[in-house]
Amino acid sequence: MTDDKDVLRDVWFGRIPTCFTLYQDEITEREADPYYLLLPRISYLTLVTDKVKKHFQKVMKQEEVSEIWFEYEGTPLKWHYPIGLLFDLHASNTALPWSITVHFKNFPEKDLLHCHSKDVIEAHFMACIKEADALKHKSQVINEMQKKDHKQLWMGLQNDKFEQFWAINRKLMEYPPEESGFRYIPFRIYQATTDRPFIQKLFRPIASGGQLHTLGDLLKDVCPSAIASEDGEQKTQVMIHGIEPMLETPIQWLSEHMSYPDNFLHISIIPRPTD
Amino acid sequence: ESLDDSEVAGIYATEEVIRYEYHVLYCSSYQVPVLYFRACFLDGRPLTLDEMWKSVHACYQARLLEGPWDTITQQEHPLLGQPFFVLHPCRTNEFMSSILTELWKQNRHTNYIILWLSTVGPVVGLNLPLSYAKLTPDQNTDADSV
Repeated sequence: MTDDKDVLRDVWFGRIPTCFTLYQDEITEREADPYYLLLPRISYLTLVTDKVKKHFQKVMKQEEVSEIWFEYEGTPLKWHYPIGLLFDLHASNTALPWSITVHFKNFPEKDLLHCHSKDVIEAHFMACIKEADALKHKSQVINEMQKKDHKQLWMGLQNDKFEQFWAINRKLMEYPPEESGFRYIPFRIYQATTDRPFIQKLFRPIASGGQLHTLGDLLKDVCPSAIASEDGEQKTQVMIHGIEPMLETPIQWLSEHMSYPDNFLHISIIPRPTD
Repeated sequence: ESLDDSEVAGIYATEEVIRYEYHVLYCSSYQVPVLYFRACFLDGRPLTLDEMWKSVHACYQARLLEGPWDTITQQEHPLLGQPFFVLHPCRTNEFMSSILTELWKQNRHTNYIILWLSTVGPVVGLNLPLSYAKLTPDQNTDADSV
């Protein structure tokens, strides 16, 4: 269906206007101007911020610069989470542009993974894709692919090439004709209010009677507090790629159309704004 | 879910003391146990991935050098949210099934976790005392306890 393919494009080309500011305690030779950038929702911070790094390094002494890291309102931002997830989880109901603070010192070892090269991002991205296929197809589809196909997935993401990426990714979105969907749905549910970083469980897209499970079914099973209502009011929002899909949406459809390039549905549960 | 964690002091090549912390978790995606671990020097400084690779016993170095990204990487602990090193789970089924098949053929009783941990642990400095093996005495049995 044409409409469904449009969703794939809308997801891929989503952008978040962001303002990067250097942390005030960083030592500079002259004043650092903020840097503005449209961040791709589907990518990773350390993959798309080379220009940000160059911009701020220009005003700093070489010896003052070590591994770059990003923070929003005191919270170190995990580069290994997709950008869209970080925004939805921490800043979705705040005014744009998203204000991110840039650091070059005092890397928070207890909070953030290191990212010394693009190889680290590629390894992480491919590990997620492999885990997603283990859930969807017992790893059969990903293992049948050649190394060059794996490389094409990564290059498609890195170079923002929708067609190149989906030429291979469409195979990861297929299922045998005798089935109605994947074996299990790759998903993670995030809530900023809990200690646990995310919830991930085995969940089948098709019920034993053959009906399609919905987003609501998933939440009821895995995270019932997310859709509980107090005094008849919905206290939380269930957000994927900046929107609230209807809870009646089949989870199989969501997995095929609204997964991130890593093939996971990253779902944020955030407080509903009160105004 | 976290089944166990224990701390062991190990001696580093340059005679520094390193404190290792090991967690055994179950990965539902691959349906195998996974070993999470981290290490720091006594002054609290954590080991880097490079230092961790270098501290791996010489006999495992060759396998590691083939594809370091496939074996040990830094990952977020799924419950604590903090950076740990992880021994990748995707090959676990391969080596475990060959051992298990042999044992089944011989009708031998086995504890999956001890079998698994005694295989992967030494790669990252966790050596199980032999007394663990004595906890599961060899028995002839028709069924595996796993």
